[in-house]
Amino acid sequence: MSQDLEEILKQSIDKISQSSTDQELENIRVELLGRNGLINKLFSDIKDVPAENRKQYGADLNRLKQELESSIENQSNSVRANHDSPPPVLQKQNLFELPKLGHLHPLTQTERQLNALFKKLGFSIYNSPEIVTDEFNFERLNVPKNHPARDMQDSIYIKEPDYLLRTQTSTIESYLLKTKSKELPIRAAFPGSVFRNEKVNRSNHFVFHQYQAVVVDKGLTMKDLIGTMDLMFKTLYGPDIVVRYRCKYYPEVEPGVGPDMQCFNCHGVGCPLCKYAGWIEMGGSGMIHPKVLQAAEIDTNIWSGFAFGMGLDRWTMAQKNIKDIRTLMGSNLAYKPNEL
Amino acid sequence: MKLIYSQLQKLLPSLNVEPQKLRDDLTMIGHFTNFFEEIEGEIVFDLDIKVNRGDCLGYYGLAKDLSVYYNIPLKKIESPLFQGEGGAKHLGVLPIQVSTDKVKRVMAIKISEINNTESPDWLKKFIKCHGNNPINTIVDLTNYIMFLYGIPNHAFDTAKSTDNLIWQINPSYKEFISLDGTKLELNSNILMINNLKKPLSLSFWGGEACAIDINTKEIIIEMAVYDQATIRQNSRQLKSVTEAATRLEKLLDSELIPTAFSHLIDLILKNVGGQISSEVFDYYPQKVSLPQIKFNYNKPSQVSGIEISKDFCVSCLTRLDCQIQDDLITPPSIRPDINIEADLVEEVVRFYGYQNIPTNEPVTSKDVPDITPKEIYLIDQLKDKLVDLGYDEILTWPLVSSSVDSDTVITTQNSINTESIYLRQSLIPALKQQLDQYQRLKLNATQFFEIGKIFFQINNEYIEKNSLGIYNSDINALRQDALQCVSNSNLENMVFDGNFVEIILDNLSKPNIYTPKTTDYNAYELTSQIITLDANVVFDKMQDSEKLIKDYSQKIGKNNLWQLVISDIFSDPKTSKFRYTFKASYFNLDDKTAKEIHASVFELK
Repeated sequence: MSQDLEEILKQSIDKISQSSTDQELENIRVELLGRNGLINKLFSDIKDVPAENRKQYGADLNRLKQELESSIENQSNSVRANHDSPPPVLQKQNLFELPKLGHLHPLTQTERQLNALFKKLGFSIYNSPEIVTDEFNFERLNVPKNHPARDMQDSIYIKEPDYLLRTQTSTIESYLLKTKSKELPIRAAFPGSVFRNEKVNRSNHFVFHQYQAVVVDKGLTMKDLIGTMDLMFKTLYGPDIVVRYRCKYYPEVEPGVGPDMQCFNCHGVGCPLCKYAGWIEMGGSGMIHPKVLQAAEIDTNIWSGFAFGMGLDRWTMAQKNIKDIRTLMGSNLAYKPNEL
Repeated sequence: MKLIYSQLQKLLPSLNVEPQKLRDDLTMIGHFTNFFEEIEGEIVFDLDIKVNRGDCLGYYGLAKDLSVYYNIPLKKIESPLFQGEGGAKHLGVLPIQVSTDKVKRVMAIKISEINNTESPDWLKKFIKCHGNNPINTIVDLTNYIMFLYGIPNHAFDTAKSTDNLIWQINPSYKEFISLDGTKLELNSNILMINNLKKPLSLSFWGGEACAIDINTKEIIIEMAVYDQATIRQNSRQLKSVTEAATRLEKLLDSELIPTAFSHLIDLILKNVGGQISSEVFDYYPQKVSLPQIKFNYNKPSQVSGIEISKDFCVSCLTRLDCQIQDDLITPPSIRPDINIEADLVEEVVRFYGYQNIPTNEPVTSKDVPDITPKEIYLIDQLKDKLVDLGYDEILTWPLVSSSVDSDTVITTQNSINTESIYLRQSLIPALKQQLDQYQRLKLNATQFFEIGKIFFQINNEYIEKNSLGIYNSDINALRQDALQCVSNSNLENMVFDGNFVEIILDNLSKPNIYTPKTTDYNAYELTSQIITLDANVVFDKMQDSEKLIKDYSQKIGKNNLWQLVISDIFSDPKTSKFRYTFKASYFNLDDKTAKEIHASVFELK
């Protein structure tokens, strides 16, 4: 690189490194790399360079440009790291527009909100395969073959009857208990996609999203379970939410507990939204069935556990005013480039 | 399961609570009841009975539960017991055969000289309240008893069926026509009731061939309990879910049959007359054996976390008709779902009331080893990086209609439709579809990404990989951003396809820990195309562009505006004025409304 270009590079990098805001950086970027910026000007001067030196000059200019871009990018990351919320990348095609923001999917946002709560309580976040065996999806969860509870879940099979797509996040619990049964106590939470053989329409989908939490420890009680679940609902819905906990059947827990939220639309009086019950079903939970713990070779004389789960799709749809469940899986879900 | 309040009160004469309270109490003890309504002048509840409580698919079982909960007596149904030798032995034995081990118990009897009629009003009303159409007295009484006890039963017109009933797995019949005329193609493993010449009935659905009509003079009635798995399989194979199948696929109490069967005989004799003309047939090869469960009376307190006294435990279990010998508990036969100590604990706690458990005592924070797989940290970190770079996260279908590599693709056996049968092997095709969709919506989507599983089958093993797919309309920016996500040493994990790149995450180095950002971004469901309109506005002097955009955005309003940019600023040397060109994009509006808003906000003529 010629001495002149080296000098330009040095001065520019000094300037970039001194910038402390995105706006300053953007100004420098425009000054150096913009349509009427220094680099383009230098490129336009190439006609004045002797023919035999043009190739080298062009290569040097390209190198200069790359180094400046890289330097601006690095400084930009450094500036962002010092901000609570991520400032944005500017688009170039319009003369002036507000910065383009990136967005997490609404389901990821909800999952993270819950993950953050549970991490504070000492939970790990866990996951397991989506193609599972009958053993992990059903047998280890106290649902033997031909158990009527299997009717609750129409499975999508890869190779019937042994391999299928997991139908519930309790399947992750099976893996967790099997792989960590010698590392007790356990506290884990797991968001996950689950699959059912459902016709896809406005209200139903074959893939949906659940959130489950599992604790195995000594001396756990339903009071721990209900208190923890209540904390989760209050985190999501606010402190004034009214939840009742009723007896509910799931083969993998006993006693089983079903949380219902008082309908936010009618406040318990009954309306079309809650099908006139005054309550909206929120998921399922219970103390882990002794057979489930025993299947993982966990001594039920010493250890007990609880588990609870809820669907994330409906909650997220309500939060974002999404009416069609298909929107969550691609299709018409979109984000404004910036929040105006 | 429908439940008529007044019918319930016949079994629980002391029951006197408001319907709303009954609905809520039923729900709290495990019988979810959404609503009650008035049908035929009766209050009727609609219950969702748990799959393990076959006993509660009848009034009797539900009344038993409520008698325990409210601590009120359950009235015994009084009818003469027709059982074994108590029948009409001198009239001879029915020539019934049971040639399958799928029958747990069956009782049958013949009644002659009957005078079948239209059902009495009380019976018609009962049947209507349960959502069925009344047929005739005999048919409606069989249904009445099924609803009352939860045990299905059936009547055969012997003029059509003969007495030679055979319980058997389908010998070779190809077709069966049900009572309502539905034709079913039969498999070889269907449990049926036939005579020597033709099929008469499925275990869970009566047949047209021996249907009871108003002229029927002689009947055989039967009541049976079967191997529930067989009924479930049969019902699913034939895609026929009847009231009887719903019950017979659950664990039912064979010991309850004599009571329910006798009640049915008694009602038939009282309502359509007739004479018993056979001995009671009772096939019961293996009597139900009841478990003896060792029970720790402290266990309900230990499990619930609240104090539940031994006295309450004993009282509750006694009211459930358990036999109690110190710490050995024998549950009643009507409760085949109670087999282990945990089952008894649940009974005690649910009747004590979940509502008595505090809701404000969660587990406290505890230092438990972190078992989070490192790939989760990597995924969180990548998502944050990409969002910081201005990318939007999307999710797409894992089931796709075409394979990338037919040798390794995984095909589902019963997919949701005939097209989407493969598990995806790459994220890129779905990202391309998403881009197409955005273009159809006239949305200028410049950069988005997805992180998800891709699937392969190699050497008969199913393999899942975590994958990152990125799209950027600027190919140089795409390369730069992709490189920011992975270090240069991992270039072999990246596959570029035009403006898309896919990166397999499994081989990337993973952070030991990462705390993801929590955010609350808006997301929108687009119901129509984005409409973009231009507007020129002239100002006397140069404006603060950002302020302009914010001011006009506010005027347009969040619910209508998708994006607003200034695409040009022209300084007119003649007038010394500045002409600003705006591009305003509107969403979820029709063309006319968007233009009206646009004209109004920018004061266009």
